[in-house]
Amino acid sequence: MKILILGSGPGGYVAALRGAQMGAEVTVVEEKEVGGTCLNEGCIPTKTLVASAEAYAKAKDLASYGIDFTGELRPNAKKIVQRKNSVIATQVKGIRALFKSWGITLKEGRGSFISEKQIRVVSKNGPEETLTADKFIIATGSRPASIPTFPFDGNRIISSTEALDMQEIPDSMLIIGAGVMGCEFGCIYREFGTDVTLIELMPRALTTEDPEISQIIERELKKKKIKLHTGVKVEKVTTSETGVTAYLSGGKELTASKLLVTIGRAFNTAGVGLENAGVTLDKRGAVTVNEFMETSNKDIYAIGDVTGGMLLAHVASKQGLCAVGNIMGHKEKMDYSVIPAGIFTHPEIASVGVREHQLIERGDKDGVNYKVGRFQYRALGKAHAMGEISGMFKVIADAKTNKLLGVHIIGQNASDIIHEAAVAMKAGLTAEALAETVHAHPTLAEGLMEAAEDVMGRAVHAPKP
Amino acid sequence: MNPEELRYHKEHTWVSISGKKATIGITDYAQDALGDIVYIDIPEVDAEVEANTEMSEIESTKATSSVIAPLSGTILSVNEDLEDSPEIINEDPYGKGWIAVIEISDDSELDDLMDSSDYDKFIEEEAG
Repeated sequence: MKILILGSGPGGYVAALRGAQMGAEVTVVEEKEVGGTCLNEGCIPTKTLVASAEAYAKAKDLASYGIDFTGELRPNAKKIVQRKNSVIATQVKGIRALFKSWGITLKEGRGSFISEKQIRVVSKNGPEETLTADKFIIATGSRPASIPTFPFDGNRIISSTEALDMQEIPDSMLIIGAGVMGCEFGCIYREFGTDVTLIELMPRALTTEDPEISQIIERELKKKKIKLHTGVKVEKVTTSETGVTAYLSGGKELTASKLLVTIGRAFNTAGVGLENAGVTLDKRGAVTVNEFMETSNKDIYAIGDVTGGMLLAHVASKQGLCAVGNIMGHKEKMDYSVIPAGIFTHPEIASVGVREHQLIERGDKDGVNYKVGRFQYRALGKAHAMGEISGMFKVIADAKTNKLLGVHIIGQNASDIIHEAAVAMKAGLTAEALAETVHAHPTLAEGLMEAAEDVMGRAVHAPKP
Repeated sequence: MNPEELRYHKEHTWVSISGKKATIGITDYAQDALGDIVYIDIPEVDAEVEANTEMSEIESTKATSSVIAPLSGTILSVNEDLEDSPEIINEDPYGKGWIAVIEISDDSELDDLMDSSDYDKFIEEEAG
């Protein structure tokens, strides 16, 4: 079996490795760098900046940990970006080494379909060549979406890509979109000292999260003196030598040195020759796929952001495994029932399963159809020891069976703790199962056990209601 | 122990009245129950507050709780020192730890407040 994969992000490279493990002859075509958006302009670089911001925050707060320090602390943007680049370089090398070890051919250039069975690769400095395969996987990903009336200029109006490569810390920044990226970059730059203002069209920050999570993050943003305007639209933007001005619906004008637009992602379907391969797009411009990750052409699969579903690296990877499984004859459907996700704000956020507002929207009632258990980070000894007491655990379970429906965590290490809930949900377990499992003390994960206990109204370390 | 010149609300806020203006804070009992205060979400000037509803949120190392408005009115000024030093509330709840000054919109609500001796009894019962 010969498989050709267009794109080597977390979808494409994982698919390539699994294909090779299963005995396929795999070729990957990559225009930029292996690892895709996730490794080069997304997940990993933002987390290195988060780590720098956290280190700085802790250093500023040394006195509260009993450490005397006299000296000057200063975030150095150039060095922060250098560190980020060296983390990326290590990871890129890692993927290239894995490709080599599994005998995967990497073609560096831009690939596009010239027929249903042929891909033309135009490399930067090498010759053009035409490749064929038995099966193809489109994993071309997405890019930051711009606002047509004020497109990115790379200087004043920037995307997440430029925000990861700042050579100096801006004194002020407006961020359009208080979603995952807006809130993450807001927290990072605020920590470095930037005056940050978030502008959100929807009525709350992180609209897709549980409303209680939004409420807590909004308070945490306020604590950091990050300004948040919700329910407003940016009507117009003007730029000048010194900065940028945003004109909001309702008449307000905001000025800053940078404007970061984080309103979503656009799908990379142009210039891929999809029209030559009989691959159709949906109304939003994403590649249409079925539950087996097959496109309208049965020999061509598509995975990851370009399919327009959940734009998450780990979903792309799982879709890649699913597509390769199907190519190699193990018929399998992509299962989206349990998809955990993290948001790397301070404090961190993680969620899996249903949000309470989704239950309310479908007419379910608290106490009748579902029950909620909560537990505060500040009630955990470990949280106090760490000096990170903000946050909450929220467990939503079926009112009759106590089966876990959703878990939401905001607080230190939330994105690691969530996987306990994900495994439990994947196994169809109940809140009792979480509650009755002994949790090591002292850990933050004890909070999840207590929140699960609270579903049954018996959290031990919570005051009597 | 609670100052005689102040009036008290059952949700543990105090009021100091001067004409149409009322200064509001939380009581010593409340700050003691909360423990070390780490953050207060100070209301905004010109915002309307309604008696018996939340006017601010306080976070301590033990809990996050609502500050319930003792009276209805419009916020005239707020104690901005609390933004960076919320612990002032623990240190001096009836003085430097004041939260906001409002212009009273409904004088009749004053009748619902307790004097210091009633409040002393009230918290004694509450402490059980």
